[in-house]
Amino acid sequence: MTANAPSENPRGFPCRKLFFLTKLTTILLVCLCLQVHATGIAQEKINLKLREATIKHLLNEVERQTMYRFVYHTGTLPEDRKIDINVTNADLAQVLAKAFAGLPLNYSLREDNLVVIFSTDKTSTDKASPERIVRGRVTGANDTPLSGVSVLVSGTGIGTTTNATGDYSLQAPDNAKTLEFSLVGYLGQTISINDQLVINVTLQTTSTSLGEVVVTGYTNYTRNKSASAAITVGGDKINDVPVATFDQALQGRVPGLTVSAVSGQPGTSARVILRGIGSIGGNNNVLYVMDGVPIESDFFQSINPGDIESITVLKDASAKAIYGSRGSNGVIVITTKKGRAGKLSLEYRSQYGVSTLTSTKFRMMNSAERKMFEEGIGQETGAEAGPFWTYSKLNPDYTTMTAAQKQRADGIVDSLLGVNTDWRDLFMRDGNFMEQQISASGGNQNIRFYTSLNYFDQQGVVRISGMKRYTLKNNLDFSYGKFSANINLNIGYSKSTLIQNEGGSGGQNPLSAVYYALPYEYPYAPDGKLVTTGDGTLYPTLDLREGSDSYERMLNSSKKQDQLKSILGMSLSYTLAKGLVAKTRLGVDYRDLTTEDWINADSYAGTRVTPGRLGSFGESLTRRTSLVSTSGFTYNNIFAEDHELEVTGLFEYLNNRTRAFGYTGFGLDSRLPETPAAIGAPSTYIPSLSGRRTQNSMASWIGLLRYTYNDKYTLNASYRYDGSSTLPEVNRWHGFYSAGLSWEAKKESFLENVNAISNLRFRASYGTTASPFPGDFTYLPTYTQTSYGGVSAIAPAQPGNPNYDWEYGRELNVGFDLGLLKNRVRLTAEYYNRVTSNLFINQPLSATSGFGSLNISSGKMRNRGVEFDLQGDVIKTKDLVWTVGGNMAYNKNEVLDLGGANEFEFQYTGIIRVGLPYGAHYAPKWAGVNPDNGDPQYYTPDGQITTAYNAATLSVTEFGTYIPLITGGINTSLTWKDFYFNALFVFNAKVNRYNNEDYFNENPSFITSNQSTRFLYDRWRKPGDNAILPRINAPRNYTSRDIQDASYIRLRNINLGYNVPKSVIEKWKFINGIQINLQAQNLLTWTKWRGFDPENGNEYARFSYPAPRTYVVGLNVNF
Amino acid sequence: MRKINNFYKSLTLGIIVVAFGVVSCNKQIDLLPTDTIDPSKAFKTVKDINAGLLGAYNKLNYYSNIFYTSRITDEVMLPSENSTGSGVATYRWQYDGSFIHDAWPDNYIAIDRANRVLAVIDDIETKPAEITLREQYKGELLAIRAYCHFELIRNFAEKYEGGKMGVPYMEVSEVGSPERLSFEAVMAKVNTDLVAAKALIPAAFDDRTRITRNAVSAIQARVALYEKNWDNAINYATEAITAVALASRTDFPKIWKDQANNEVLWKLKRVASDAETPLGNLYTQAGFLTNPAGSRIYYAASNELTNLFDQANDIRFSSYIIIDAQRKADGKIPNAVIKYTGGDAANPNRVDIKLFRSGEMYLIRSEAYAEKNDLVSAATSLNALRRARISGYVDQAFATKDALITSLQTERFKELAFEGHRHYDLRRWNLPITRNPDDAVNALGAVLLAPDKAQYVFPIPNSELKANKNIKQNPGY
Repeated sequence: MTANAPSENPRGFPCRKLFFLTKLTTILLVCLCLQVHATGIAQEKINLKLREATIKHLLNEVERQTMYRFVYHTGTLPEDRKIDINVTNADLAQVLAKAFAGLPLNYSLREDNLVVIFSTDKTSTDKASPERIVRGRVTGANDTPLSGVSVLVSGTGIGTTTNATGDYSLQAPDNAKTLEFSLVGYLGQTISINDQLVINVTLQTTSTSLGEVVVTGYTNYTRNKSASAAITVGGDKINDVPVATFDQALQGRVPGLTVSAVSGQPGTSARVILRGIGSIGGNNNVLYVMDGVPIESDFFQSINPGDIESITVLKDASAKAIYGSRGSNGVIVITTKKGRAGKLSLEYRSQYGVSTLTSTKFRMMNSAERKMFEEGIGQETGAEAGPFWTYSKLNPDYTTMTAAQKQRADGIVDSLLGVNTDWRDLFMRDGNFMEQQISASGGNQNIRFYTSLNYFDQQGVVRISGMKRYTLKNNLDFSYGKFSANINLNIGYSKSTLIQNEGGSGGQNPLSAVYYALPYEYPYAPDGKLVTTGDGTLYPTLDLREGSDSYERMLNSSKKQDQLKSILGMSLSYTLAKGLVAKTRLGVDYRDLTTEDWINADSYAGTRVTPGRLGSFGESLTRRTSLVSTSGFTYNNIFAEDHELEVTGLFEYLNNRTRAFGYTGFGLDSRLPETPAAIGAPSTYIPSLSGRRTQNSMASWIGLLRYTYNDKYTLNASYRYDGSSTLPEVNRWHGFYSAGLSWEAKKESFLENVNAISNLRFRASYGTTASPFPGDFTYLPTYTQTSYGGVSAIAPAQPGNPNYDWEYGRELNVGFDLGLLKNRVRLTAEYYNRVTSNLFINQPLSATSGFGSLNISSGKMRNRGVEFDLQGDVIKTKDLVWTVGGNMAYNKNEVLDLGGANEFEFQYTGIIRVGLPYGAHYAPKWAGVNPDNGDPQYYTPDGQITTAYNAATLSVTEFGTYIPLITGGINTSLTWKDFYFNALFVFNAKVNRYNNEDYFNENPSFITSNQSTRFLYDRWRKPGDNAILPRINAPRNYTSRDIQDASYIRLRNINLGYNVPKSVIEKWKFINGIQINLQAQNLLTWTKWRGFDPENGNEYARFSYPAPRTYVVGLNVNF
Repeated sequence: MRKINNFYKSLTLGIIVVAFGVVSCNKQIDLLPTDTIDPSKAFKTVKDINAGLLGAYNKLNYYSNIFYTSRITDEVMLPSENSTGSGVATYRWQYDGSFIHDAWPDNYIAIDRANRVLAVIDDIETKPAEITLREQYKGELLAIRAYCHFELIRNFAEKYEGGKMGVPYMEVSEVGSPERLSFEAVMAKVNTDLVAAKALIPAAFDDRTRITRNAVSAIQARVALYEKNWDNAINYATEAITAVALASRTDFPKIWKDQANNEVLWKLKRVASDAETPLGNLYTQAGFLTNPAGSRIYYAASNELTNLFDQANDIRFSSYIIIDAQRKADGKIPNAVIKYTGGDAANPNRVDIKLFRSGEMYLIRSEAYAEKNDLVSAATSLNALRRARISGYVDQAFATKDALITSLQTERFKELAFEGHRHYDLRRWNLPITRNPDDAVNALGAVLLAPDKAQYVFPIPNSELKANKNIKQNPGY
């Protein structure tokens, strides 16, 4: 049902429009979007006095007077019909009733003042064909009415759309057989009429609807006219998931998108990688665009996932290239909920829940085991791992003791055995979860709104951590004839309390202390005093107080983050002439982050702070403002019936500014709370100051083209010319292009009658993208301030490189969409090959150069892979719908060239070597423990066993990479009457990570701290032991033993819900629906991984915050 | 509003705005940093030269030498209460090429900073009144360059002998893959730089937190000792001794609290705002002295060293080590290193790092005389030092060179304890690193490290080998 409009205009290009063009452009460029609101108010009332006019003439006259626009197929309007009309202050309906009197013409009025005129006849020449009126209601999940659903009589241009209550009615020709229902974000349905006069339909939402619109932020193409590999995840998959940031809800939903929660701290953003790592030294972040405004990655805690309508992930070059240099790592386009014309609808959503720690595969020793351990080590080496050896009967010193001393020693051992502290009970808790949301939407044909207020409160599983968030979302859409505008406002304020030093291996990190702390240590003395090392004089202890010191520190310190985030987008568009639209958009992404660090002056932790030994209080404030302005024209028209063309030309300017300021003060007055006022005299306790300012900007010229022939063949093309401030002047500007082809094979005659295949589309695209250098001025060799002995000095800051150039990506994508059996089985498959050249590399330098590394742009890397998404409706009856789906992606990365260098070591455990994938581990291969003497053994690269450890000569690369080769998700949903059940499994396979926790928990350097039970039971102690771990006095070297399989399958989310039947809630007139649901997040995990959490996407795992298991009960009420 | 001329006005305005918008946007991407200094503006005046020179001083990082020396030698023992795990594997001599000794990158960074300033110093606009100052800065820069290379030699030279592998010598700032020069080639360049430096630094310049002419003499004396150039060692040590006398027993403890500068030839200034870990934190928790029973000792003074001192009469013992009675009674390791605990209660453990003292000069001179078989002169220097340190000391005579050398070796151990000498001294004398059993409880058997063992010499970091194909590793790694 393409809305075709005749291109000719008898009056040419009216001056009034030109005037508007100029005025509009002026306004666009100065970006005073709101002021334009009062201009261009059209008259609703129509005055006509025409004689012998054609209908087309009449419509042109109405268009001239009002903001209505008429669209119709060529040939719909009878050329020969001449009418006389004389009306004053008439409305549209009156005018058209007169105009269409006696003609088989009908019309429907759309939300944007578009009037679709259609013939009520299959052939407009065949006059009196019998008709009937079909009516009905279209609903979505939970029986919510769906407005704006397109209803079309199959094979004709006859159609309408549903109104705000989801109702429709249309005149269907008698010979009509089926009706087609379609709406963005929902699976289309075709229903047989079969003499029914009332047809009610329920539409299913889907993430991979084959008929949806591909929203790129610049263009909206229907999927059958887009060559892009793009996938859309509906808001229903995101809105209710009990996580603070929307990115985590994308996991397992989009093939090729690797999402891993790097921390279970509430509010932490996930690590998101699309189609593999594309750069070594450059940027690997996906670009996030929300309602057309690019937003900063990693700062999503102040965005309410409940406001998201849908998320589209753009994966291939033809979609990404329109973002030019910013889109090289993929683009995630977020569309928030918009108001719909019709009755005011209110929704109240409430969730309560609890988060708990997931179980881990390793176990630390209890007191009895600890006794065996300390005694064993004492006997083997004489080393004093703790009091169980000092006072042991087995200790040679015991024999020299007096009887009284022996009695005391025995008493000590007994009392220590009696203590068995579970440090998890002290450091961790079950965290409460609560979310409340109220939203309203509605409007009329001119103004529509969506407003929501959300309160989110999640306690972390570590006692002090948590996040509270308040968000306000307000989307307004205006349309008035040829003019339309939207204002999207998102204001979020979040308060997070974080643990200090997450990921650190020291006692400042509660998550390492909980494992290090000894089981026979208890933090409190009998008198209730929390005893730390500092109390050694009055409260002597035999343990090391490691857990208590850390616990005391946790209770006496805080790290708080207040984030105010505001995303404002405003856009205006004006239809200058048929098909020609001028548009402008201004976006602001503003973040104000205050981080507060405090250590209580009155605590033991406070005395350990220097200078001052009286705690510290620090604040750092970061303000980042990102501004984007895009303006230009779009022209869309159809020529000679079959040639559809859409051309867009835009200019875009983007600027990011960051300013930061921070201080840390010392010598606090303990009577004052967490405030800078507590800071001691700066002359005595010299505070530290820091701050910075930086900015970058980019200007771009963008050209986009779409050409569709016969609704079957589509060409998408783009060209973008970008200039970036982050590159040296010689290389500052660069152009990017892309081209894509799409073929609707199902529409070919040879497939048209193949009933099994309901949809078949092939796509191919190729294009270039690029990244500018990360870091704002990295290309410059610069000096920075430093000091010696309190006197200012300067030192080189960075080596710079005047030859920096863009990092180029070239990407080929081939794919198809297949729908079988009336789209009950849907398959999408993609193949891609992406080569990054001019690769940014932090080439390590000889230390003699004075720098550790030099950023160069030289090298090549390839990501190649396939992606599948298969969904099927296994059962589909009136009462029971069961859908099962799965997606999987395989990505193979290979470094092709390193610009002269052959290889270099990378990060903690890796090597970058030509021929190997990014993130390849590099370690000596572990050859087990020699049973005769307990020596650690290693393989030489030629397979011999050796005991001489040498990382430089023994290291090999056969241990995979920490970037998973295979990722995916399995989903199923079951709807039975008023009940529904959804489950999502996610999996990662072919991935290995460095388990740094084992390094600390099974290490002779840390025997005085608690260790894993494996270090007790599976350590070599005597000849003949077939042990996993070597003798205690052997060096603890990094080997392949520490690189472990981090593959996993996790039951990410299950959701069981019940829609209270209409019959029950009918009693309360104002309630439209009630839904109750139960959810569990991260309920089960299957993995071999021995660390905290296999999911955490870092190369190494070191005492990071594990993702919690969360149980939630929710209630949704619609009014 | 609908008039035609209004329309043209608006059109013109529109075009102007479009043009302006585009031009200004193009301009908007020509940005310059606000927070860093352009190289062309970095060095314009003699004052800027000083800033660059201080930038090189900033990178002189001696604690890694002091601490690594302590950890791998018999200066310290590892108490069970050190549960940080920090450096424990190093203490047990379990390191290989993946170990990055800070001295490797840090000294080369300081050298690079000096070389960058040296490259421009002669072209700086200089008023006649500033010439002396500029030359002094140049002298300091050359001396820093020599000193840093010497530090690299001490840590990484295969052996302190002619024909053995030294380190690359950087005379200009450049990105390259230099190879290791021989020990003697490096020492020759060190000497050349020091001679040049000495000629440029005025005698009147006496800031002991920087390199004075006397400090250059002291560096030369130490260099000569490592080269076994006994005559130079005697001459330069004498120069330094003549210029800066030994501290009295009253003043000696004050040196370590930064309350006196007596005897100090060169020290690195440290202030409260420095980010570097305070030196004293490497041995004990900050504030140890105020609450010994409620503080941790990370690395305790070894019993071997503690027992060498005449604890009652030797001022060095009470300045360096404390044996805490309460801790002893509690069964904890009592002997703590307090050399760097500092005098400022608010900022404990952060003190200036003393690099060269006259005490060392006496020992150098004594050793050089002894090696030349001038036992009398040797004994004179040794006795002079002991007299200054030990109350009621009676001069001693030495019958043989061996007896004197042995005595000197012990004296160096005591005098220069925790100052980052022990390891290099043992290497100079080709003696093994040994630990007494009571100091090796937690050493897990690391009690003897013979000179032929790889770990006796620090490895060149593997990262350097990967980045620089011309570098050769020390033997055994």
